[in-house]
Amino acid sequence: MTAGSVPVGDLRGARLRLRLRGAREFGARFVQRRDGLVGGLILLAFGLLALAPGLFVGPLESVVSATGERFDSPSGEHILGTDRAGRDLLNLTVHGTRVSMLIGLLATLVTVFIGALIGIVSGFIGGKVDTVLMRLSDFFLVLPTFVLALILAPILLDIFGSQAELLGMRVTLLVIVIVIGVTSWASTARIIRSQTLSLRERAFVDRARVVGAGPGWIMRRHILPNVVNLIVANTVLTFAGAVLTETTLSFIGLGDPFQPSWGQLLNQAQSDGAAGLGAWWVLAPPGIAIILVVLAFTLVGSALDDLLNPKLRGRR
Amino acid sequence: MNASYVGRRLFQALLTIAFIVVLNFILFRLMPGSPERILTRNPNISASVKTELRERWGLDKPVIPDQFVAYLGATAQGDFGLSYQYRGREVGEVLGSRIWPTVILFGLGEAIAIVVGMGLGAYAGWRRGGPVDYLGNGLSLVLYATPYFVLGMFLLLVFASTLGWFPTNGMLSAGARYDSFVDQLLDFGHHLVLPLATVSLGLIGLYSILMRSAIIETLAEDYVQTARAKGLRDGHILRAHALPNAMLPAVTIVAIQLGYVIAGAITAEVVFNWPGIGTLTVDALSTRDYPVLQGVFLLLAVSIVVANLLADLLYGLLDPRVRT
Repeated sequence: MTAGSVPVGDLRGARLRLRLRGAREFGARFVQRRDGLVGGLILLAFGLLALAPGLFVGPLESVVSATGERFDSPSGEHILGTDRAGRDLLNLTVHGTRVSMLIGLLATLVTVFIGALIGIVSGFIGGKVDTVLMRLSDFFLVLPTFVLALILAPILLDIFGSQAELLGMRVTLLVIVIVIGVTSWASTARIIRSQTLSLRERAFVDRARVVGAGPGWIMRRHILPNVVNLIVANTVLTFAGAVLTETTLSFIGLGDPFQPSWGQLLNQAQSDGAAGLGAWWVLAPPGIAIILVVLAFTLVGSALDDLLNPKLRGRR
Repeated sequence: MNASYVGRRLFQALLTIAFIVVLNFILFRLMPGSPERILTRNPNISASVKTELRERWGLDKPVIPDQFVAYLGATAQGDFGLSYQYRGREVGEVLGSRIWPTVILFGLGEAIAIVVGMGLGAYAGWRRGGPVDYLGNGLSLVLYATPYFVLGMFLLLVFASTLGWFPTNGMLSAGARYDSFVDQLLDFGHHLVLPLATVSLGLIGLYSILMRSAIIETLAEDYVQTARAKGLRDGHILRAHALPNAMLPAVTIVAIQLGYVIAGAITAEVVFNWPGIGTLTVDALSTRDYPVLQGVFLLLAVSIVVANLLADLLYGLLDPRVRT
């Protein structure tokens, strides 16, 4: 590092400046990737909708407070039409953004946290701990999230009761977060572990050990900062998967009718027979929103992957 | 392929299945008031059957070892208990009656997607930057981001309810009488088109993206450069050098993705009311028919493990480097 010649007091500032310069260069490179930029803009738009849905379309319409007629096609009054209960589709879809994105975000955080923790510990400690943890991850790698969720979600819902609230969130939504998190950490753990295995052999880890650092300190202060890149790229792709899983679980009836996500809206459209009735405006808004968001995450994820993995750079 | 490679894979698969079976047992006991409630709450069984069930599952004895042993024995014999919603029919029987529609839909969809998706991906990777690559890759990305049921609902909307080309639901016309087997088969085929299109289109996106990157990676290898330097023709290099090697990761990917495909097939069945495992699962979820759900879980989990094992063995057969 060039900071070697700087007086000790300035070290922190110099390091910060170096980081900032790195971030600027990274930003410039990212903007050059057109697909990543387009994906980022789409996500920004949906992020705004998710932050303040009420600001754009007013409070969430319920069956009681519905403002329109049953199955009204798009008109000046209801730009995207109404559903079977007369609720405005634009209102529902914008509020659905918040639910879908929030569940996706929380599920991703849980997944990445478990994955990074297990990956670092498994790779750094090695030996029996590693063997046991990796057997466990084999199990979760082979069995897809969805199949496990199929049995785990109804059981958790029955244990907690579907009406309860916890930390200001409805338990139904929390159950989906937990189920996705608990079942999809394995691939993250694998990626982080292999990187940790190579970091463990580097000289700076040996030096830290020689000056008396314990394993916990080394993992937190030396290994973790060096796998952050991987974690970030992985987070974006995990997010796409989490949104898809949430949508699918809600669609097959494990969602919350009172906090409708996009999947839940499509579940209602399905049970109302909207596709059979030709009510395209009930399907299109949530359906297209899901496709756009997952597509945007995939684009940003692969752009980040290319930029953060020096090995892949310039291959496309 | 040597015996130790096969043995190790076999052992791993058995270990995973053992894990699944134990997990199923633990989850079964986690629920409030269970397994008592699960087994005996069933409204469709009589008092004498209840007593029989209590003895069968050892419910008056301790969880470990008696109940666990009873559970293992029953599972090994394919006995998952009695379904609630199907008037106390055995779960194995219910699953058996629903499995063929799913196998047909899923098997055909998988076959079409492998041929079309991998073909498209290979060609797009080979002519990278060309019009097929540009269009095909874009389309594949969109298809990949589309959940199966969204795709299915759009197809249903356009081709069944708007254009009226295909029936909107079921596997055969309700109440129809057929003069011959051929008529019945034609009606079945007519109902099959849209669900099959949904499953295969969803998979084509995935397979073409994966195959494209496998081909691009293979084309950067030294032996392809060597083949070029020897003056071999383009088409020959693709068929004889690049494709066989790119097929290797493809085999594994088809097996790994199987679980996601199953999830997709389940939701696609729901959209078209196709009477397979998918609609069964969703009905079981809404009525909390736990014995059926557990049966579905074991069935899906074990099929995925077996598919992965087969892929591993096939990979060993195709690629001498992993046989150790």
